[in-house]
Amino acid sequence: MKKKSFLKFWTTTQLSKLYCILFLCFFAGLNAQTRSIKGKITDDTSTVPGVTIKVNNKPTTAFSDENGNYTILAAENDVLVFSYLGYKTIQIVVADQATINVKLTEDATTLKEIVINAGYYSIKEKEQTGSIARMTAKDIDKQPVTNVLAAMQGRMAGVNIIQDGGTPGGGFQIKIRGRNSIRLDGNEPLYIIDGVPYSNESIGSTNTSTALPSQASPLNSINPNDIESIEVLKDADATAIYGSRGANGVVLITRKKGKSGKTNISVTASTAVGTATKFVELMNTQQYLSMRKQAFINDGIPISDTDYDVNGAWDQTRYTNWQKELLGGSATINDFRTSISGGSETTQFLISGNYRTEGTVLPGDFRYIKGGILSSINHTSLDKRFKISFSGNYTAQDNLQAATDLTLTARYLAPNAPALYDSNGNLNWENDTFENPLAPLKSTYRANTNDLVANSVLSYELLPGLEIKSNFGFTDLKTKEVRTIPSTIYNPVYEVGSDNSLLYLNHTSRQSWIIEPQIRGFKTFGNHKFDVLLGMTSQQQRTERLFQSGIGFANNNLINNLASAITKNTTNSDIFLYRYQAFFGRVNYSYNEKYFLNFTGRRDGSSRFGPGKQYANFGAIGAAWIFSKEKFNPENSKMSFGKLRFSYGTTGNDQIGDYQFYDTYGTTGTNYQGIIGLQPTRLYNADFGWETNRKLELALETGFFKDRIFSTLALYRNRSSDQLVGIPMPATTGFLSLNANLDATVENSGFEFSVRTLNIDSNSFKWSTNFNVAVAKNKLLSFPNLSGSTFANRYVIGQSIDIVKLYQSKGVNPQTGLYDFVDLNGDGSITAGDKQISKDLSPKYFGGIQNQLDYKNWQLDFLLQFVKRDNYDYISNVPGGGQVNQSNTSGDAWQQIGDQSSSQLHTTGLNGAAVSTYYRYIESDAVITDGSFIRLKNISLSYDIPLLATTNVKCKLFIQGQNLLTFTSYKAGDPEFKFSGFLPPLKVISGGMTLNF
Amino acid sequence: MKNLQFITVQTKPFQVYRILLVLALILSSSSCSDFVEVPLPNSQLTGTTVFESELTANAAMAQIYAQLRDGGILSGLPTGASVRMGLYADELQDYTNSTIALPIYNNALTADNATVASLWTSSYSQIYNANSVIQGVENSTDLPISVKNRVSGEALFVRALVHFYLLQIYGSIPYITGTNYEINRKVTRSSADEVYAAIAKDLESASTRLPENYSSSDRAKPNKMVAKAMLARVYLYMNKNTEAANEATTVINSPIYAWETDLNKIFLRNSKTTIWQLASATAVRNSNEGTTFIFVSGPPPVCALRTDFINAFETGDQRKVNWTKSVNTGLNTWYHPNKYKLRTATTSSQEYSIVLRLAEQYLIRAEARAKLGDLTGAKEDLNKIRTTAGLPIITSTIATEILSEIQKQRRFEFFTEHGHRFFDLKRTGSVDEVLSVSKPGWNSSDILWPIPELELNANPNLQPQNTGY
Repeated sequence: MKKKSFLKFWTTTQLSKLYCILFLCFFAGLNAQTRSIKGKITDDTSTVPGVTIKVNNKPTTAFSDENGNYTILAAENDVLVFSYLGYKTIQIVVADQATINVKLTEDATTLKEIVINAGYYSIKEKEQTGSIARMTAKDIDKQPVTNVLAAMQGRMAGVNIIQDGGTPGGGFQIKIRGRNSIRLDGNEPLYIIDGVPYSNESIGSTNTSTALPSQASPLNSINPNDIESIEVLKDADATAIYGSRGANGVVLITRKKGKSGKTNISVTASTAVGTATKFVELMNTQQYLSMRKQAFINDGIPISDTDYDVNGAWDQTRYTNWQKELLGGSATINDFRTSISGGSETTQFLISGNYRTEGTVLPGDFRYIKGGILSSINHTSLDKRFKISFSGNYTAQDNLQAATDLTLTARYLAPNAPALYDSNGNLNWENDTFENPLAPLKSTYRANTNDLVANSVLSYELLPGLEIKSNFGFTDLKTKEVRTIPSTIYNPVYEVGSDNSLLYLNHTSRQSWIIEPQIRGFKTFGNHKFDVLLGMTSQQQRTERLFQSGIGFANNNLINNLASAITKNTTNSDIFLYRYQAFFGRVNYSYNEKYFLNFTGRRDGSSRFGPGKQYANFGAIGAAWIFSKEKFNPENSKMSFGKLRFSYGTTGNDQIGDYQFYDTYGTTGTNYQGIIGLQPTRLYNADFGWETNRKLELALETGFFKDRIFSTLALYRNRSSDQLVGIPMPATTGFLSLNANLDATVENSGFEFSVRTLNIDSNSFKWSTNFNVAVAKNKLLSFPNLSGSTFANRYVIGQSIDIVKLYQSKGVNPQTGLYDFVDLNGDGSITAGDKQISKDLSPKYFGGIQNQLDYKNWQLDFLLQFVKRDNYDYISNVPGGGQVNQSNTSGDAWQQIGDQSSSQLHTTGLNGAAVSTYYRYIESDAVITDGSFIRLKNISLSYDIPLLATTNVKCKLFIQGQNLLTFTSYKAGDPEFKFSGFLPPLKVISGGMTLNF
Repeated sequence: MKNLQFITVQTKPFQVYRILLVLALILSSSSCSDFVEVPLPNSQLTGTTVFESELTANAAMAQIYAQLRDGGILSGLPTGASVRMGLYADELQDYTNSTIALPIYNNALTADNATVASLWTSSYSQIYNANSVIQGVENSTDLPISVKNRVSGEALFVRALVHFYLLQIYGSIPYITGTNYEINRKVTRSSADEVYAAIAKDLESASTRLPENYSSSDRAKPNKMVAKAMLARVYLYMNKNTEAANEATTVINSPIYAWETDLNKIFLRNSKTTIWQLASATAVRNSNEGTTFIFVSGPPPVCALRTDFINAFETGDQRKVNWTKSVNTGLNTWYHPNKYKLRTATTSSQEYSIVLRLAEQYLIRAEARAKLGDLTGAKEDLNKIRTTAGLPIITSTIATEILSEIQKQRRFEFFTEHGHRFFDLKRTGSVDEVLSVSKPGWNSSDILWPIPELELNANPNLQPQNTGY
């Protein structure tokens, strides 16, 4: 990658320079005092093409070819300087040598020379005016994960990612620099894969994707190991060129490409085991039964014939840890991938394939299978003026899971509930007193997703410094989801026949294309450098959905066949068209490689808005000053690099869904006497437009001791206004929300600090550390007439929009035995108006610390992720005393007048007052607890087996772990969750081997 | 020195111009405003188009009937009033033990209960759709006047009907007559009298617009008599006994309906006593009530009739035999309502969900007549019900006895039919006396459900909350 992007960089920006150098080189060759020196340049793994070989103090320069060979003319007392991005520069005196072979070693401290992908253009990290975080294949490959978002967790300052659950195929919550939009689903960043926008809008349906806490994420189609680098654009300077879609940041994913040189074949195989991380601490049988019996005493009623747990129908001494029983299994994960790459100086290729299977921690034969292929080819004409590249990857996923997550069942089941199987090995219904939790597993969810993402870039250099280019992209995503509910999930005694079996189907396909012609020119006048880019975008996305259901089958074996259903319904059959057009440009000016100015702008039109509202302009200015190059900082100063940068600009957000501005009746698929119903689709409002986000950033980048300590400190402030929101409406309007621009402003501000240090750098031992932290603050800045609006009970001006408003708990009243609350509005009773305590559930700060240690053939890499936040304690949603197990902390319940206890009296549910206070209690400040954690997110240990130097085979063994250790005071299960009651992300230990030859 | 060849390559100017030309063409080819204007999606019509043809106007109404059948108060699903009000009063016992149903059964509702919100929300959605039809028809230039009358009559009827049930459950409520959200988001609650007046007005208007005969098969869409039957009930609730008796008489005298003495035929799809019913979702399905109430083994999946209800049947009441059914597991016996007898699909639907039936008109008239002093007429109607139930006729000459017997018959005639029992207890003022005995959690303030918490938050004009919440 480093080599590749460097090549790209100098071929595109330095071509004119190159001509000069080559020309001089040619004349230098005529000098009689010199002779030809040749050699081969290698690094740890292979030969290195493109290395610059320079004769010190002379204009003579050469480059190594695709095999790493070079030839250069030099005299005896000359010094050859070998330099290449990412490697240490080596100087060798020619003396009497005719052949000089050089082995380059990687240099962590030259990272700021890295060329960063900014989307429509690339830029040297040290010259960038915007805020861009980056991670590369080196870090992705060490993680045993299936989703690229999982690989990013904890590694980028200000990028907060939460995995929705441990069931494969699920989604993620990602927030780049906080939540900008009041709209809950309007905070997704824009994803671009090799220049092709990739929609992360869900492809699931609520009727089918019941196995997942949120609907299926299309990003699962991207194999993390096919990714060369991920860049996250954060500030206005970097995102404004994406205009209306840049408000929530941009995630650029660059897939791997072939490298010239020897054909390289790589094979990796690994096996892993995944287990659940943490369980909630629940009552044991004794605690549970005493709670239940007390509830009957409190309610003053006898134990009824249906209270099997306490009436003697079930064994009173039996104990099962249902969380362990139902979720405590281990999932086996197998991963196999191979790639072949190589090429000549003009044409390079890469073909890689991967295959992965994942089991489940639930009892049952559930699995996730993913297979994919990536192929990429690049060609450059001999004169290096015409370039074409193509990349395409195709991924197929087959996900079979239980339709219902058993997490809640496992928490709720009475600890003395009977065995799962009877003595004959059949499901035990315990004389029809027990709803066997394994029965629902017969209801399954199956998703087949096939995804193609292809792109091609053509470019031609018209004149030196003037290039035309066009990007073409195409995506084709097809998914089929099936959920079946056979009648066998019910106790046979109910005599529910297959005529009640259900089938839900979802066919969704999404195709998109994009064309982006561009023209770029760059010119240098002395110390003044200009780089200008102009382009346009045309994009179309077409989504087709077909949701169907079938009810009643002659036999449960026919349940997957819709044609066999007695009743067939089509609930949705829609086509959504989204079109998008934009003109964009960038002007970059630099003076003396010290001062940089960057202007970007975009004019965007989106079909998601009504006539007159479709177009809007966005733009930003960025500036940077490399002050370490100023005279006051001597060349050998301890401060090797210093830069101040600033950016300000506007971006937008159009995540409101398609056709929302139309006043329409939609077909509902509901049948009444043979007529399919039509109903108003929404409250009509055509008068809404873009959400605007103004971003401001100031950053300081410094390097010390030849950049062995390199840090970035960024301060930012983003303000999002014209909130494009479904304004909650009272139901009396007929709908619960209205699409409109709300004249409110949300501010996200904070600072991000990241530092990378090279702690030890000797020949046999290397140790480097990366640290990042983000302190973020979200604030509702203004909201006209908040108190009179439908948001009055949700938000407070000056506070975060992630707050929840709660009752203030006073604990248990020793007299009544019920939870008491503070009457905050002083109206004499506890009503919804007393929910005035606000708690912010967004993280206060979060980040990660990564250490990389290399000792001889060993490499150790580990990442600790930390998050400081509040979260909900475990809530069973049922008052203590009902037929539901409770957290073992609720054992200490009030029993008689005068008791000082932490939990209110138990009730079977008959005590209306206790039920009311319980539901208030779970909406009070008493259930908010510290949900902070430090987690060993990833650890990877690998060992290169020493093989004979003569063979070209390299073999590496590795052990990797994900979520292995968690340090937290949080007691209610796994602290990393957004949706309670679902299987948390798994703890995974993986081992495997990579062969390179 | 092979790299030197780079320098020698000449630019071919014609290539450059060709590429520039292509680029310029691409850039200018599509006029931008056209490109981002997308046509309507294939599954939607504009509001105006819907009311340009009878077919699509019918489809808009069909959706409302389907909504009534599949959700909200009138639905026979466990979330509808037949179950919820049965649990809340003294008809049904809850067996789901769910956090939603249990507080209803225990009369321990809170303003954030899911059913409290869902009945309210789905009702106002049904009302919005009805208002949208009323407006669409009014603005339509293409629909013939007869169609306009029929469709708007149906929509007016639905609007009145749903408001009637909301009024019974939540007390004074906003009466919504338009689709403008700027008005509807800030509405205030109207008094019960005002709501009753609006309901009566809408029903009167509907009855003048609706045709004499049913416009579709199976009495699944309202005709004039449906509006009148509902009007009879509303007048009775308003204590306008003369009007109630008159409307009931009109319905009873209509040749469309005939009395049925076989209790097992009353809830069939082709029953002659049915005034209005909701057709099932497909040609093979039967009523939602059948699926909800019937169970074949214990414990009951949703609910069962309370033992005190079963025991309260008068000896010899054939409705106990024909309209309830016991399920025995040796240890326990449970009873389920058995008015609808089909739980699952049949070759063709045999039972639909009946909303209005003739028996109610007789009992309305009996009550109205008794209150007006016509005890003979009242007994005549009352005994029609008793006789059909296999009970001896009433001969009492004391008005209070007759009125109390009418209420008793209403209890056993209309059990688990959309909350009749609870509403009757409320309007006769006996709710505290009765439920404080049979329901340990009962408080006087439980007479009204709370206004959903979200709704109060979204529209503070709906304050104050009902007493006790």
